[in-house]
Amino acid sequence: MLSLLRIIKFALQDMFRNFSLSFMTVLILVLMLLSVNTFVIVNVITSQAVQTVKDQIDVSVYFAPDAPDAKIEEVKTFIDSFPEVTEIVYQDRAQVLAQFKEQHKDNAEIMASIDELGNNPLGPTMIIKTREPQDYEKVIMALTIPEYENIIEAKTFGDTQKAIDRIHVITTQVERFTMVISVLFAIIAFLIIFNTIRVAIYTQRIEISIKKLVGATNWFVRGPYLVESFIFSIFSLVFGLILTRLSLYIVDPYITIIFQKPNILTDYYTTNLLYLILVQFFVVLFLTLISSLFAMRRHLKV
Amino acid sequence: MINLKGVSKKYSKDSVGLDNIDLCIEAGEFVSIVGQSGTGKTTLVKLLIAEEKPTSGTIEVGDWDITNIPHRHIPFLRRQIGVVFQDFKLLPTKTVRENVAFALQVAGESRHRIFDVVPKVLDIVGLSQKHDRYPHQLSGGEQQRVVIARSLVHRPKILIGDEPTGNLDSINTQEIIEILKKINEFGTTVLLVTHNREIVNQLRDRVVTLHDGKIIADEKEGKYRL
Repeated sequence: MLSLLRIIKFALQDMFRNFSLSFMTVLILVLMLLSVNTFVIVNVITSQAVQTVKDQIDVSVYFAPDAPDAKIEEVKTFIDSFPEVTEIVYQDRAQVLAQFKEQHKDNAEIMASIDELGNNPLGPTMIIKTREPQDYEKVIMALTIPEYENIIEAKTFGDTQKAIDRIHVITTQVERFTMVISVLFAIIAFLIIFNTIRVAIYTQRIEISIKKLVGATNWFVRGPYLVESFIFSIFSLVFGLILTRLSLYIVDPYITIIFQKPNILTDYYTTNLLYLILVQFFVVLFLTLISSLFAMRRHLKV
Repeated sequence: MINLKGVSKKYSKDSVGLDNIDLCIEAGEFVSIVGQSGTGKTTLVKLLIAEEKPTSGTIEVGDWDITNIPHRHIPFLRRQIGVVFQDFKLLPTKTVRENVAFALQVAGESRHRIFDVVPKVLDIVGLSQKHDRYPHQLSGGEQQRVVIARSLVHRPKILIGDEPTGNLDSINTQEIIEILKKINEFGTTVLLVTHNREIVNQLRDRVVTLHDGKIIADEKEGKYRL
């Protein structure tokens, strides 16, 4: 217990007496965490962009005006049984007509034609959304069976298939790209932290050997550096998160304009704050501890 | 007190630190180890504080065979041997008092004992008034006195001086030698590694002369002969 208290005391003493070195170490860790958070932000924006594009895709099924309600209900139940389907919006004939009129209210010719017909020429519509763009093909194929040939007039399959395929390719590529960038980032972060700690310990190699020569055990020498690693991790995390939070206040309004959705980044950080703090803290702590132990190994052989 | 039997230290095929030496030093002796640079004097010190291990032979300090001392026991050996280095080896970010206290803190000594011992040893070396100075605020002679104070806190049976006056002027050299003689008078075995002819001749004590890693002379009341 006495040794532990002394190790903590020496760590704090070393930190303040080597203030410039401690400051530079924390600064580099903060910069590293800021770049990690920049990467997180880019990832959130990319995911939001992909999601926005995905949300705009759906498949519309146009039923014949005389399609029986029971048959339509059967189709709805059938489609709903697909696990890939996330949403089905059904519009009956009256709703479809009202929407049609709303869309073409400025076109006098179309409005006059509708009035001349007297009755509603449009059938009900079903708008289907799935989890992934590639799921649409499966839904469309399932509906292309002889049993439904007479009740389904049209499906938007033919018009959107190419777009769906293209989006599928783009999202897959984006996901692969972000995965590669993530791995590269992890390697760069590790190298930065490792070298920062190594330089900090290298500058104190003579002190380490003196401590050993006056009878300090390896753990008594290592202890203060490990405690310093812990304190550096906390400081860098706090400063990193404060700066990230401040930058979110600046960036978020611009993101809102792009996606027409408020506080996307702030909400992401608020929802995942604990997770982000814990992951970043333990990763930085783990890297600084491992780097300290590794960098000290050679100097302890006295 | 110190017993070396057939000790050799080879760094490589062509580089020999010590070559099959036998040396026995009794408790309370003041022994000067002399020799030109590269004759094995520092190698001998490194072997005695287990900074290095011998290639062959056995080394005993007290009743302790340290020939193949396990790594975890080395700190305990070093707490029993006081060492004074030519380049002082003081911790630059600690004050005089903290540097001396550090040797006790690493051994897990209580605060009470540290408060008791540190002022006493600083008083012995005449640095009580400068206890709150940092090493860079002291002269070479004062820094060396801090090192001696640090080496005394464990009341060691053996004190090794590895060229302790190598970086000092003649007045400071004389002061350090007087302190070492006083420590020896209290019963501590002193091993002084030096190539200062004047000091060795003035001491009129045992002199062991090394040359090319071998002991070429060992005289009870010797002189510097190289």
